[in-house]
Amino acid sequence: MSEDRVRTVSLVGVGGQGILLAAAIVAEAAAAEGLDVKASEVKGMAQRGGSVVSSVRFGDHVWSPVSGHADVVIGIEHLEARRGLALLNPGGTLVCAATTRIAPGSVVRREAAYPDDLEAAAAARGVRLIALAAEDLAQQAGNERAANVVLLGAASTVLPFRDESWQRAIAAAFPGKVRAVEVNQRAFALGRAAVGEEVGE
Amino acid sequence: MERSHFYSGNEAIAQGALRAGVRFACGYPGTPSTEIIEAAARLEGLHAQWCINEKVALEVGVGASLAGARTLVTMKHVGLNVAADPFMTLSLTGVNAGLVLVSADDPGMHSSQNEQDNRHYAKFAKVPMLEPADSQEAYDFIAEAFALSEEFDTPVLFRTTTRVAHGRGVVATRDAVDLAPREYARAAEKFVMVPAHARARNRVVLERLESLRRRAEESPLNVLSPGTMDFGIITSGIAYAYCREAFPDAWVLKLGMSHPLPYAKVLELYEHVSRVAVVEELDPFIEEQVRALGLPVVGKKVIPADGELNQDVIRAALEPLLRTRPAGRRKAQIPPPPKLSAPAPVTDLPVRPPVLCPGCSHRSVYTALKRHRLAAMGDIGCYTLGALSPLSALDTCLCMGASIGMMAGYNKALNRKAAVGVIGDSTFFHSGITGLIDANYNEAEGLVLVLDNRTTAMTGHQGHPGTGDQAEGTCGPATDIESLCRGIGVRCVTVDAYDYEALESAIRDEALAPGLGVVVALAPCALNVRDKRGTIEVDDERCNLCGICLKTGCPALIPGESAITISDVCTGCALCVAVCRRGALSFVAADDKGQS
Repeated sequence: MSEDRVRTVSLVGVGGQGILLAAAIVAEAAAAEGLDVKASEVKGMAQRGGSVVSSVRFGDHVWSPVSGHADVVIGIEHLEARRGLALLNPGGTLVCAATTRIAPGSVVRREAAYPDDLEAAAAARGVRLIALAAEDLAQQAGNERAANVVLLGAASTVLPFRDESWQRAIAAAFPGKVRAVEVNQRAFALGRAAVGEEVGE
Repeated sequence: MERSHFYSGNEAIAQGALRAGVRFACGYPGTPSTEIIEAAARLEGLHAQWCINEKVALEVGVGASLAGARTLVTMKHVGLNVAADPFMTLSLTGVNAGLVLVSADDPGMHSSQNEQDNRHYAKFAKVPMLEPADSQEAYDFIAEAFALSEEFDTPVLFRTTTRVAHGRGVVATRDAVDLAPREYARAAEKFVMVPAHARARNRVVLERLESLRRRAEESPLNVLSPGTMDFGIITSGIAYAYCREAFPDAWVLKLGMSHPLPYAKVLELYEHVSRVAVVEELDPFIEEQVRALGLPVVGKKVIPADGELNQDVIRAALEPLLRTRPAGRRKAQIPPPPKLSAPAPVTDLPVRPPVLCPGCSHRSVYTALKRHRLAAMGDIGCYTLGALSPLSALDTCLCMGASIGMMAGYNKALNRKAAVGVIGDSTFFHSGITGLIDANYNEAEGLVLVLDNRTTAMTGHQGHPGTGDQAEGTCGPATDIESLCRGIGVRCVTVDAYDYEALESAIRDEALAPGLGVVVALAPCALNVRDKRGTIEVDDERCNLCGICLKTGCPALIPGESAITISDVCTGCALCVAVCRRGALSFVAADDKGQS
């Protein structure tokens, strides 16, 4: 990872999964490293169960808040992670919740099929796949809603931020909420530790 | 059979509209446009009405166009500022029967607060524009405007100025145009402008503009008249009349269809003359486009950019030009059509559009509404999501507050209660009230459903005048919708949106009753309610997975192997219980838990 170029992390998922919060933590961690950061999100539909994409870009100097591709995609939901694969170039990394599946209406009504080809599609694209049971780990940490931060822990293995920057960013995301900070710090640690012993489907 | 009359431009527009098969005309008075509706109101064979303002007038007009009536909407130049919201998006949706918007501009500000040049609106909205120069053209061009509107599926801007609108001239009238009826066909992807649909329509508009430019090249309204001088003039509207008197021997390119600009016609003029001037009142609208072709041209450097022109002003301004050496020939560059963005890549992955939340009370309203064969004129807010599958409950979404005016115009044109308006509480306060007052004033049939969830939900729960919640967290006085409706003179009932039986009967009663009524479906936004109302229990024996409950689109309902299952996002709104025909679902109120 060369330090002089701008890198892009895209967070994808379903409205209500804490994508914007996770993106804020990535941005805060990058800022804690002394890097320039720009972020962009489309949040009008964020609470209405639609696809949500948020991007964070960091480097010595960042001009554009958006990019047509990403170096790392963090997918908090399986179908959205599969969709987000298209953002990655060969050599990129997809960090995703392997077991979190939220069926869109068309799948519930059996008009469409939920995709089941993430591993093969990632391999075909030359993308490294880090898939973990994020919800289970979040539950272990104390709150299943912390799956987003579990995935940040996993993603931290491929992002150039020191642990203290991450910890500072997590604390900043829950101002005045000691218990939430503890839960999320545990979630982060569990996610980070899980890389290397990844679970499959 | 031709007969001669002495008409003002405005009378000629009304007469021309009748001849063109217009059945609906509406507007808001404003000099110099007022006499069009006044004249139309005296004619047999079309309905004419004053509306509460220009925005509502255009929305009412769009409703009438959807219902199949050729529709004329009139206003003065600044009125189009008020109507700009529906106008800009109407360009995307297009029309059903033709719709022509007359904008009467007032150079010289005889009776106006500003002198804006509304030709920019044609460019802004990417719609065709016609500019008559006298009463005869006003009469004739109106028929052409309606033909263009229907052929190219677009509103047409018909721009006059004071001297055309209020000038009088001899008009030879002509036989009425024969028209086939235009039935309304529901088309959400064309008329419901949610982002996914609007993106596709935007491409249609950009391509339409290029087709219109080809039409402008061939249009009999754009005429190149030969002259005997080495001097040519490009002009439109009343300025054409001044030019013919000032320079009777000049070549003249007269643009009756002045947007989009016919580039080849302009180039053709340059083949015959080496000196060219653009003569236009107000802004260098044509001049800038000619310059962009890379052609030498004289315009606002000598022609005043403010006030009215006349032949003396033009002669004095341009005569020195004729004594100068002609500019050398330059090769013109016709701009290529604009490139469109790459279409989104096609994938097999199921899309995930936003949906109404679990427990959203709008779902009940749409489920009840779908029992009636009524066109549903929608509006902008969370409830616009009701247009999407599986509810597919809305016919239109044009702009904030448009639902009520469109409903009124649709029903007025068909002379029966064939459409409802669906509007949220915040949108009602934004610009629905004026539509309701207008519907009442013009005695429109209609049913307005106000989906009152006590907040501006879609944008993240901001306050509005109906709640009194202010931006800084303080609370001010609130306006009660039911009292407001009664004050307007419209009957209004409020029902609990979660009481499905009451909701259904209120909608049924108002759908069948003559006249205009409002039903307020009241329930706080489900996202603002923390406690579940209760739980839903499934009788696996009775459920046969018929799927009727799934048609509500509730995300909490998941089909299992042999029966529906209820996911934990269920809030206990119990709409599924109300629609189940097999008694397979039952509601257990939160309070009863532990006792039963």
